[in-house]
Amino acid sequence: MLYLQLLVNGIQTGAMYALIAAGFSLIFGMTRVFHAAHGATFTIAGFVFYECYQVFELGLILSVLGSALAAGLFGMLLNRWVYVVIQRHEGSFFTVFAASFGAAIVVENLIAIFFGKGLMTVSTDWSRSVEMMPGLFVAPMSFVAVIVAIVCFAILHWLFTHTSLGVALRALGENPMLIDVFGLNQRELGKYAFLIGSVLVVPAAVLTATTTGLSASMGHHIMMISIAATIVGGVGSLRGAAMAGMLFGLAENLSLAFFEPQWSEAVTFVILFLFIIFRPGGFYGRAIVS
Amino acid sequence: MKKLLSALVICQAMVAGSAVAQDIKLGAAFPLSGPNAEAGQLFATGIDLAVEHINADKRLNGSFGVVYEDSQALPTQGVIAANKLINVERVPYILSAYTGVSKAVAPLGQRNQVVIVNGGGVGPDLAELGPYFWNVIPLANLEVATMVPFLVKDKGLKRVALVYIDDPLGDAAKKVLDKELKAAGAELVGAFSIPASAQQFSGIAARVRDTRPDAVYIASYGNQQVQLTKQLRDNGVSQPIASYSVFSMPSMLALPEAQGSFFTSQEVNRQSQDARTQRMVKDYTAKHGKEPNTYAINYYNATMLFADLVEALQKEGKAITGANLLEKRQATPSFQFVGSTVSFQDDGTVRAPVQVNEIANGTTKIVKPGK
Repeated sequence: MLYLQLLVNGIQTGAMYALIAAGFSLIFGMTRVFHAAHGATFTIAGFVFYECYQVFELGLILSVLGSALAAGLFGMLLNRWVYVVIQRHEGSFFTVFAASFGAAIVVENLIAIFFGKGLMTVSTDWSRSVEMMPGLFVAPMSFVAVIVAIVCFAILHWLFTHTSLGVALRALGENPMLIDVFGLNQRELGKYAFLIGSVLVVPAAVLTATTTGLSASMGHHIMMISIAATIVGGVGSLRGAAMAGMLFGLAENLSLAFFEPQWSEAVTFVILFLFIIFRPGGFYGRAIVS
Repeated sequence: MKKLLSALVICQAMVAGSAVAQDIKLGAAFPLSGPNAEAGQLFATGIDLAVEHINADKRLNGSFGVVYEDSQALPTQGVIAANKLINVERVPYILSAYTGVSKAVAPLGQRNQVVIVNGGGVGPDLAELGPYFWNVIPLANLEVATMVPFLVKDKGLKRVALVYIDDPLGDAAKKVLDKELKAAGAELVGAFSIPASAQQFSGIAARVRDTRPDAVYIASYGNQQVQLTKQLRDNGVSQPIASYSVFSMPSMLALPEAQGSFFTSQEVNRQSQDARTQRMVKDYTAKHGKEPNTYAINYYNATMLFADLVEALQKEGKAITGANLLEKRQATPSFQFVGSTVSFQDDGTVRAPVQVNEIANGTTKIVKPGK
């Protein structure tokens, strides 16, 4: 039963990681901006959800919408007022990265100032596990997490295969010069990449708020998972990032059956090292060094 | 851009100026950012109040202040912070917290003859770090030795599972808990170490459930202990939870899932009639809207201890150095702390009665008084 329990936990964690990683991978793959503030977007989404749901008691739907609005706005505004400005002044990849990293630290400090430095949790019955069968506990939120992840990926798949915006975004990731040839605006498309990528953190942020709690500094862990999943999945591949996120979630939890818990996080990085050495291109996509 | 840089330089000079304007200062290497920042903020409330009181009373010949550095509760950052306090700020007395950080900075104190005082870390080996390292908090061996008889004899809980952070504090807690449980005729049925950065504990909950314990002992701190407690409860661990004094943090007391948990802490008589206790409790409550917890009191005491020693040295016309502070402390039989009069033992620690508390309705109640 322990294995089944860990498998269920792994699927829930994996679904969350998959969404976060897909958002980061989408932004990085389409715009080539190493968006280190993706963890900050996650933190903002979580805290806005907390404020709407716990403090203003707006209900689940409105709170999730508020969280999505905040995440999307933050991503787009950061792109418009920081990344684009730097790029316009011939800023290098690393200048943009440093700015992104700085933005993450600023957000962390602002949240600590406004919300305090302690952990904040959302009380809801959705996060309390129910014993499905002897020894197997599953929280309703786990089902929600998995279903939401599936729905999000289905929407993304449709967007990228059946809409002109999706096709243009894919073209932006694969050949930005072609975008100019067709008279499309790279920066305009980048805006949508940031919007979609940022909103993708919302389900995971809501899940985190209700299960593990929120703190100003929680973005670091999210960022590490996002980067690792992007590499393992293959740069620019949403499908790869999602698979890598799921792989990390499952490995992190299933490893508990065989190793001391202190090694569970190291498993993620062992997988990362193995991919870097033996399959630098990841599941799909391109190698980082070309 | 030049204007912006100039403004930044002026701001920096103003900040630096405020730090060096103090005639007498102590240093504090606390977590001011990261997952343990709540604790650092809480520790600072005790120090800041003590500084206010000392300056208001004009006890010292010169103005008195504190220089904070961010340790992030990490040994490496702690060493960087302590190095700056010793070599740049030239403080003779540094307040430290967390077992791992304290153990990392203790050799710096010893080498530079700077006193390091811990009021928050509880690893038992903090009593073995040399004459320049002092503790104003009872260490974990005393806390665990109080909790185990309570669990085993008073509550009849003989199978205990431990979830502990993978650092010196966690390792020490495991060692002491195992020894005390065996001595009490009980059993440590499972010990699960977790990395300091871990946030997901549903898998740990499954492992804990698998051991079928009567109680779960948590040896962690900061945001992690709150996340751990919530997720254990959310994931079907219904057995009583026990821990040490770190469970008195505000975010822990406010957590619905933590209600009913037991934790040990040093006994502090906040109703004591001595002037220092009355003033501290009254002013702290007025300032923060709640009574001071033991950590705020510990760091208030540690700051007042410095003032007591400096005052005595100034009267004798001696320099305020770490060596003189140590000599003066060793020559002083007892000190007035908030809630009690204490004496230092030869190993630089204070002993205090340890009580067992229960978290109830967002606050604590004593379920077994200290002795």
